Amino acid sequence: MLPFFVIGPVLVAVILFITSGNRIMQALSVVFQAGLLAASVWLLIQTRETVVYFNIGDYDSLLGIVLRANSLSAVFVFLTAFIFLAIFIFTYKDKREQYMFRFLLFILEAALIGLFLTGDFFNIFVLVEVSTLVIVILTMYDRERRNVFYGKIFLLLNIVAIQFFLLGLGYLYRLTGVLNLAAATEILATTDKSDLVLPYTLIMTAVAFKCSLIPFFSWLPKVRLYPGAPSGVAAILSGLQIKSAIYIYICFSDLFSPVAAPELFVVLGIIMGLFGAVMAFCQTDIKLLLAYSTISQVGLIMIGLNSGCEYSRIGGLYHIVNHAVFKTTLFLCASVIIRVYGTADITRIRGVFKRMPVVSVAAFLAVLGIIGAPFFNGSISKYFITYDIPQWLYAVVIVLSLCTIVYYYKFSVMFTGKADNSDIEIEKCWVAPIAFLGVTRLAGGIFGPQIIEFFFRYPVSINAFGYFQKTMIFFASVAAGFWIFKYADKIRWLESLGSLRAGFKTLCGSLLVFFIVMTLYVGL
Amino acid sequence: MDISMFSIILFFISFFGVLFSNNIIKTIISVLIMQTATVLFWLTLNVTGTTPEAPIIYDPALLDDIQIIADPVPQSATITAIIIGFAVSAIVITMFNSMCRQYGTADWETMERLATGGVD
Repeated sequence: MLPFFVIGPVLVAVILFITSGNRIMQALSVVFQAGLLAASVWLLIQTRETVVYFNIGDYDSLLGIVLRANSLSAVFVFLTAFIFLAIFIFTYKDKREQYMFRFLLFILEAALIGLFLTGDFFNIFVLVEVSTLVIVILTMYDRERRNVFYGKIFLLLNIVAIQFFLLGLGYLYRLTGVLNLAAATEILATTDKSDLVLPYTLIMTAVAFKCSLIPFFSWLPKVRLYPGAPSGVAAILSGLQIKSAIYIYICFSDLFSPVAAPELFVVLGIIMGLFGAVMAFCQTDIKLLLAYSTISQVGLIMIGLNSGCEYSRIGGLYHIVNHAVFKTTLFLCASVIIRVYGTADITRIRGVFKRMPVVSVAAFLAVLGIIGAPFFNGSISKYFITYDIPQWLYAVVIVLSLCTIVYYYKFSVMFTGKADNSDIEIEKCWVAPIAFLGVTRLAGGIFGPQIIEFFFRYPVSINAFGYFQKTMIFFASVAAGFWIFKYADKIRWLESLGSLRAGFKTLCGSLLVFFIVMTLYVGL
Repeated sequence: MDISMFSIILFFISFFGVLFSNNIIKTIISVLIMQTATVLFWLTLNVTGTTPEAPIIYDPALLDDIQIIADPVPQSATITAIIIGFAVSAIVITMFNSMCRQYGTADWETMERLATGGVD
């Protein structure tokens, strides 16, 4: 059953390509995607009890290529299938050469699902390369000239980073003699710690780069890709591509647990969380604001995953799922708004609510989710992230939430005001997935503990008093956020900070500096 | 000198090539050398002398004849890496080619100024 998840999308992509845009085939591909979503739910239920294995070609698991699904990868597969379904429905009536676009999307989906299901670390490298390549081509699909340039920088940087990864894998193979992740974990537990430092830092440099974590420049070309990327692709970039990097991070930090340095990643998470929030506030382009918001939220996820506390880790994992869904909603809403208004400038768009009530409500629900309003999914994941972490870290997370509230004020201003007339019709296939995604936010909040139990097999319960306390903090930050927003909106120099840029050589330099710092830190 | 050590040195030399070249073609060449260095490193893995650690499965009857065995897994892995590297570099070079014709320059800074229009 497992190969179907990888082969299926590839086959559909090829059929779409051969039939070159046959209407029936297009409709069938969406039906196939719905089937894949159903199959991934089946996989979620299967992996609750055991880990599902599949050895391709019936070779021994140490020699052959292994697909395996544990409870974590099943969640990621489900997330991928879910978000791709939303995007396929959203782009259903787009006029560009549909079948080529769909073809690439299906290949990307196969690569991402393969990444989550593969059981050996060399295939992780292969699929990371394939998915990067496809996503770069997709972001340049509209041939916007800035995107071609930043796409080239992004691709070259990724090749450089992936060479670090490959070199690290070489060291790992030299130590273990196997490519299988499970077998390697067993062998590494008994290996001398000093041997592990170099492979760990080499691999983590590349992974931190992929997660957009390295201060301060490495995520710049990626962020610059958003404004010109086709609508669905921007959602995948921030909803899924970064999540796949976080999945690799989780895999390899488990593998290297004897030498892992989670505290370093907590610090990185704090830096990128705050910095991303400030940068998000400085933007006037909707898509850039959302892109920087992603960087800030990845920081929060990193804090949750690395704080070393049980509940906090579960909260971090749940925040991955939540963030993928609300960021997809927001990007799809943003692209509808941009199409209707013909501009992406947040200061010129007003009266969205009057013109597009359904889209606005969905976007507003997503905003409430991301800032952690009570009864929304974001509040549940933030509640668990802050459940058992140390006091000082708790304070940092509160500041981070406050910053999130401030820049989403800036985002929400465009819903207010009067609408002017426009004759662009809003397609039903745009509104349906957005509305559905918006409603899942509320469901994810109300049934939060049950969903966490279902996804991560970890029974959690919410302490009513603690939740109430956090709700009070939330309302206090909303009030404080409004005041800060009023004040900060008048500061002029923030805008010039927002247009920060760096050349290719600076970006490579930051990669090298990060590698050296990390090697020194872990080694000493 | 040990070949694996040599490949590491080559890797960092080419990295400095990436860091310090203003010309995009030189950058691409440096990246390609970097890939070659990584491939070289993989090929030197688990080449054993008298005590074969690899391949993982071996026939004890054969061991008497064979003194030096190279692990086949890194070899197949590097072939995959080379193929992927080929695909990626083909795309990078194609992108560079089209941009170079459009703007008539191969300099990073000039191209950035032209491609992004000087504004953000």
